[in-house]
Amino acid sequence: MTAGPLLLIAAAGLAAGIVMGRAQPRLWLALTLVATTAGLLAAGTILLGAPAWEWRSGFDFAGEEFHLRLDGVSSFFLALLSLIGGLGAAYSHEYWTDERYPKSAGRGRMWWSALVLSMGMVLLSSNGLHFLIAWELFAVSSYFLITLDRQRRDVRAAGWLFFAASHFGTLCLFAFFAAIAAHHGTWELGPMRDDPATAWLFWLALAGFGLKAGLFPLHIWLPSAHANAPSHVSAILSGVSIKMGLYGLVRFSGWLPVPAAAGWVVLGLGAAGALLGIAFALGQNDYKRLLAYSSVENMGIIAIGLGAALVAAPPEDAGWARLALAGALLHAWNHGLFKSLLFFSAGSVLHATGTREMSRLGGLWRTMPWTAALFLLGAVAVCALPPLNGFVSEWLIYVGLFDAVTSHGSAAWAAMPAIIVLGMTGALALATFAKAGAIIFLGAPRTRRVAHAHESGPWMRGPMLVLAAGCVAVALAPLAFWPAVARAVGAWRPAWEASEPPAAFASLGPVQLTLALAGVTVAMALWERGRHRGVRRALTWDCGYALPSARMQYTSGSFGGLATGWFGWILQPERTLRRPRGLFPREALALQRVPETVLERVMTPVGGVILQVSAAARRLQHGRLQFYIFYVVVGLAALAALVLFGSMR
Amino acid sequence: MIAALEIILRLAGWLVLAPLLPGIINKVKAWVAGRRGPPVLQLYFDLARLWRKSVVLSTLASPGFVAGPAIAWVAIAGAALLLPLGPAGAVVGFRGDVLLLIYLLALARFGTAWAALETGSAFEGMGSAREVSYAVLAEAALITAVLSLSVHSGSITLETMLTPAAGPGAVLLAGGLFTVLLAENCRVPFDDPNTHLELTMIHEAMILDHSGPPLAVILHGAAVKLLLFAVLLTEAVLPVGAMPPLAGTGALLAGVLAVTVGVGVVESLLARLAFRRVPLLLTTAFLLCLFALLVAWKGGPA
Repeated sequence: MTAGPLLLIAAAGLAAGIVMGRAQPRLWLALTLVATTAGLLAAGTILLGAPAWEWRSGFDFAGEEFHLRLDGVSSFFLALLSLIGGLGAAYSHEYWTDERYPKSAGRGRMWWSALVLSMGMVLLSSNGLHFLIAWELFAVSSYFLITLDRQRRDVRAAGWLFFAASHFGTLCLFAFFAAIAAHHGTWELGPMRDDPATAWLFWLALAGFGLKAGLFPLHIWLPSAHANAPSHVSAILSGVSIKMGLYGLVRFSGWLPVPAAAGWVVLGLGAAGALLGIAFALGQNDYKRLLAYSSVENMGIIAIGLGAALVAAPPEDAGWARLALAGALLHAWNHGLFKSLLFFSAGSVLHATGTREMSRLGGLWRTMPWTAALFLLGAVAVCALPPLNGFVSEWLIYVGLFDAVTSHGSAAWAAMPAIIVLGMTGALALATFAKAGAIIFLGAPRTRRVAHAHESGPWMRGPMLVLAAGCVAVALAPLAFWPAVARAVGAWRPAWEASEPPAAFASLGPVQLTLALAGVTVAMALWERGRHRGVRRALTWDCGYALPSARMQYTSGSFGGLATGWFGWILQPERTLRRPRGLFPREALALQRVPETVLERVMTPVGGVILQVSAAARRLQHGRLQFYIFYVVVGLAALAALVLFGSMR
Repeated sequence: MIAALEIILRLAGWLVLAPLLPGIINKVKAWVAGRRGPPVLQLYFDLARLWRKSVVLSTLASPGFVAGPAIAWVAIAGAALLLPLGPAGAVVGFRGDVLLLIYLLALARFGTAWAALETGSAFEGMGSAREVSYAVLAEAALITAVLSLSVHSGSITLETMLTPAAGPGAVLLAGGLFTVLLAENCRVPFDDPNTHLELTMIHEAMILDHSGPPLAVILHGAAVKLLLFAVLLTEAVLPVGAMPPLAGTGALLAGVLAVTVGVGVVESLLARLAFRRVPLLLTTAFLLCLFALLVAWKGGPA
């Protein structure tokens, strides 16, 4: 079947889901699964080599003809959207049920279908006006999904912040598309690389799409929105929604001319975002916020790859730029896989324990072995450790950057700092996820409720297993995924079509497979050896202390304290300490929090100043008529003076 | 077939020779202090004894407590196999294998840190927090060193990168890499392998609860890691790969021995640094590697 009918099925399924979702959860799930499978197949046909699909409606909608296009770039992102859209729906079938959330479950299903449909429309629209409409619907449905649980105050605050930030981005995009339309005389979009006069528009696109992609420092809305949304929504927000911003950047940096500095700026933003994003993540005590900041980091890594590809100016046909772009795109897929997996596992923990505070958890591996194992897999993947998929895409980006350095061109000055930053980012990610995994799942339960947690059921575990399988598949057979990546790279810049995978890419799969097998074998052999020689269970040694308690364990704050101290200049951690005093101390308190510095220390003060100025201006407006007449008289007098003295000169 | 045989032989060589190094270091320390010291083969005896012992597991530990050390050991052994051995070259080499080496070492770190955190002990939490935090700076220095080697050689394959060694920046690189070696292998002045005060330890604090075969695997992995860094440092400084076979092998062995003795001498003459000074020393290592990178950049491709 070709892409057209499949896309029709997908759209029909999602549209029916919007209508049916409220009342009929099972039918909705079936419809969503059918629709997303159809979407995945449609994307697959294009990625596996079918020519790009285009369709014009012949009738007008909102004054413009529908023009849909599914090419390498959009189908690459459509595949990710379909996968997470389907899996998230299945996950929510157990996670956000009518029994637990009678008020919001139906709404949640409806908006889920709307979100997936509108993101699909964003990917397919090839008309600026329809792109904007779809983009707006996408923002609105995200907002309603984030605020599903709107009884809680911080959820409403997060939703509002998302809405405001999102609309600032949309404003930039309005200007962007309107300027393109004004310049070319049509809203139609397509390759328009020949007109250097429109190059400056890239900055508008960078602001608008970068905000959605969570590029540092435009990420201010992201941590609270992703942390406060229901976990299946967090998964699609982190896994797919922020990739829509990336899609916009990739799409329009491919279709439009870009200014010479574009690559350097994107790469610089990416490097800053990668390092600072993960530093913020390390400082968090809320595991969903931690995952959200890790998304900022990963979008930074992707931006490094994209920036490197842009640095290689179009006439120069640099092989390393292809590798960097391929790595960035593959990392977008990988991040979609493992971050959704991590958010699903986080949701599973939240479902079982009811808290997002890491330092109230602990020892969950015993009651939730599946969740613990799957979180561990996701953690190893997100740290880009071999033998999992994160390493494959970061390896591509690294090789691209190293090749840029060894080519001794001017791009090396961008690539060298980027490599060092990537290295430090990797080490910080390791610290962050060793902390998250260990504090949540290892040691002793820190509260009673946690000790009685329960494992999640098949509808939540199934999607997690599928995502884990996806991570393993990309890790062990990276070559199988190369054609799809190459297709997207070719669609981005036609001169790069049919790029061959680097020779070493082929050896990565077997090496990773060998490593995985060796690891499993040695681990099992060691376990057997231990059992053979006899195993005795005893208290944790703890230097001979006979009565260790769960509260004596290392906490999330203490684990991250050392490295977050080095980033104190930007993290600005807040500490409240009330020491125990006197012979009979009453209460003592130690609180630690890493604020969202850009938001709380920059945006909020700036906003405060604007509000103060507005408040001062409002004093002029008090409702007393005689003063208003006085204003008019003063105004007239001023005008009269202007006219008089103006004419005298 | 021959390739497989060579891989097995090399692996055996790495695994068998590695425990010599801590023995040599201890001998040097004893010699400087005027003691007789434990035999050079002491670690072999320890490993054999631990391998025969039974295991005490913390009641809190999950299977990851044993799997962590195993995976760390596999990662370190895999990283060692990637390294070329002087004139003999590498058995498994591909473009970009140097990144695999760095990330395998990171995987080993993840495995040990995870296993340490299994027990819920604050000491082990402290140890692994220090380990993963200092690694951030060590990793920056290491990747800068790799960058300078690849700029100098114009390659990102370990074998071709290490054949011409570092050239004019060798002294700077040697200083930087030696410091990274001390930090990554938890030697004085970053960590004291002999101390018995848990509050001041990094690596030893992480393995407090391990016993029997898993402890043997951890100690052996640490020895292989030390040998790996010694070989890497030697090959980064001396162009052993470009020498004739006999001279190259001799130079490699002499280099590794010199590094080992150097570690022992440093350990005898220096005290452990206060923890807040550790980042300063690691930053110095990073700067040394950065200057080596600039020298390599100015020198152009070899």
